[in-house]
Amino acid sequence: MKKLTLLLSFILTTTFLQAQKYYTKEGFVGFEASVPSFEEVKAKNNSATAILNTENGEFAALVFVNGFRFKNALMEEHFNENYAESSKYPKATFKGNISNFSPEEDKNYSLKGSLTFHGETKEFNNVPVQVTYRDGKYFLKGKFMTKASDFNIDIPSVVKSKIAEDIEVGFSFELEKK
Amino acid sequence: MKSKYIILIIILLAIGYLGYQYLYQDHRDIAEEVAAYSIASDQVNQEFVTNAEVAETKYLNKTIEITGTVSKIEDNSITLDDVIYCQFTAPLETDIQQNQNVTIKGRFIGYDDLLEYVNLDQCSIKN
Repeated sequence: MKKLTLLLSFILTTTFLQAQKYYTKEGFVGFEASVPSFEEVKAKNNSATAILNTENGEFAALVFVNGFRFKNALMEEHFNENYAESSKYPKATFKGNISNFSPEEDKNYSLKGSLTFHGETKEFNNVPVQVTYRDGKYFLKGKFMTKASDFNIDIPSVVKSKIAEDIEVGFSFELEKK
Repeated sequence: MKSKYIILIIILLAIGYLGYQYLYQDHRDIAEEVAAYSIASDQVNQEFVTNAEVAETKYLNKTIEITGTVSKIEDNSITLDDVIYCQFTAPLETDIQQNQNVTIKGRFIGYDDLLEYVNLDQCSIKN
């Protein structure tokens, strides 16, 4: 009898714990550092992984740096080889928390956490994120500004006028139950 | 004298053309590239389980062919044996079935250590 209750409680807790995690493997992350009247410096990535624990608001995301696609193939090559050095730093990761997360609600939150890219980590304290809950899925959307220099990326003076100092990063995730 | 100008113009045009070709070159065509590695899904996975970093350096940005059993089919992705996640650039238009044995060619973009998946993008089905 004791064994049975133990087994039952084990099954219950594991299913309970599993039910709290939502994830995606094809999240969108994009950035833009275009300067008006010059060729656009813009890339998008549709293979980001994101996991949200709806129990405590814990959030983690992972992006493969060489999965960023540019319109211009040469720009993509330069991004990977000279700027992001994707062979040395293949991943960008984010680990953080959505404070006061309340499950199954449409709400705007503030996301807090650290972003690691190109071997550098930067803390973000207030990234606005819009959460929508539809048909058992969470939709997370938001954007924030950052700088190439925050991640130890040097932009040569020759191209400095063509790449914006402030880079806008946008993301959108459709999370389903794991 | 006149022919000198013509030659000059031709040279300038050639430089311009080559410069344009360089600046606006085409993207890699993964489907047309010869695969650097051709392996079975469990073998690849084993390499990542053993040492993810070494395996990642070995395969990163390379075109590889992986053979395995289809475990999940989504709008524009196929998962092999629950461990290889293959993304296609366009929605899938094939009659591939669950549990079918297939070979997929794609570019290795990284190992997802959050979900423990090997990720390929720009995939195409070989057979």
